[in-house]
Amino acid sequence: MRNLLDFVIKHSSWFVFLFFAILSCRLLFNSNPYQHSIYFTSANVVCSSVYELFNNVTSYFHLRDINEDLQQRNAMLENEMVSLRNEINNYKMLLPDTNAVPEVYQHFDFVIAHVISNSVSQPYNYITINRGSDDGIRPEMGVVDQNGVVGIVNVVGRHSARIVSLLNPNLRLSCKVKNSDFFGSLVWDCESPQYAVLEELPRHVEFENGDTIITSGYSTVFPEGLIVGVIDGKMPTNDDNFYTLRIRLTTDFSRLSTVRAIKNNMKDELRELEKADFGNSNKERGKS
Amino acid sequence: MSKSALQFTGLFIGMLLAQAICNRICLFGVAVPMVFIYFIIRLPMNLSVNWVICLSFFLGLGVDIFGDTQGMNALACTVLAVCRRSVFLLYFPREDDLGNPIPSIRSLGIAVYAKYMVTAVLLYCTVVFLIQAFALKHFEITLLRIISSTILTFLVLLGFDSIATTRREKRL
Repeated sequence: MRNLLDFVIKHSSWFVFLFFAILSCRLLFNSNPYQHSIYFTSANVVCSSVYELFNNVTSYFHLRDINEDLQQRNAMLENEMVSLRNEINNYKMLLPDTNAVPEVYQHFDFVIAHVISNSVSQPYNYITINRGSDDGIRPEMGVVDQNGVVGIVNVVGRHSARIVSLLNPNLRLSCKVKNSDFFGSLVWDCESPQYAVLEELPRHVEFENGDTIITSGYSTVFPEGLIVGVIDGKMPTNDDNFYTLRIRLTTDFSRLSTVRAIKNNMKDELRELEKADFGNSNKERGKS
Repeated sequence: MSKSALQFTGLFIGMLLAQAICNRICLFGVAVPMVFIYFIIRLPMNLSVNWVICLSFFLGLGVDIFGDTQGMNALACTVLAVCRRSVFLLYFPREDDLGNPIPSIRSLGIAVYAKYMVTAVLLYCTVVFLIQAFALKHFEITLLRIISSTILTFLVLLGFDSIATTRREKRL
């Protein structure tokens, strides 16, 4: 305390100067409109540039949360889009029978996950995500990101899961050219992480370079219509009945961060149906 | 002590009134004589800095009230009061050799006193005209006003001082 008092007394002239300077400035800016306006204009310019700089820095800290929010919103919209598409299809089918009320299907749910490990340079690539069985991840769930298909869940732990990447020759994905019903099989040829090969596409399918390749929906893993890539060109093949196309993948596998695992709510039902059908055909075969 | 206090009170009031008149003078549209800072220049060097700042502030405030320029002269006078001692020591480093603590032609000699005065006037004019302009937009005009006002003020103050010195000499 004594030191503080000594300090104040020693430098009292500076405190007196500051006091009178502040008083003068207050008088100056409050009573002179010209100085007042310039002061406020300059203060606003300085403040706005400081705030802008501050905002530029702090906005990066919230990007992860914003990204997650956007992903969730995207998932919700995608879910809504799928159900609306189903509804439209039902209306189309039931158009003559206007009394029939179609059921709105809510087949798919999405689980947001962050990629914690990823590879693109190996011949068999896998991705690990930070969500597991506790979060509702199950084997054979499809995984997508904002750009397109990523892979299929392979092994599930409690808090993490391994995904077989689309950049893995073991994964074959049923795809079709958008606005056509003919499908082929997409597989990675171990060459570039930006390209894959669509095999077994019938010869009579009409397409052009740049056409979009989407999932066919002929499995319980991916709903129909998810973007996979665009046609880059034809590839030489020995089979005269089928095309082999080079596909430029829309997903950037080298920059994966947030992905969505697709949960098909009707998967078990479809499996049971398939099993029942398989059992009946066996019985029929036995009788005959 | 009381006599000099009375003298300085008279100088304070006299300078305020003189400046009230000088505020109406503007030579060639640029040069304004800032005669009232003569009081700050003439304050004794052994007077506490706090007192110098206080007196200068109130002198500036008085001029502001007469000239309707709230705060401008008060701020410039406060700055001049703080820098006054440093300016003085710049030209007269051995303060102990000073016989009379009041800066004047007689105590400092014409050369040192003129340098001390012109620096103080220049400092004051720079601060006050920069506050008036408050922007570097028309800096040439501001610079012209600073230089011309400094020269005019310096000449007027030197005239004041010569008259005061001559009178004292006559009295002797």
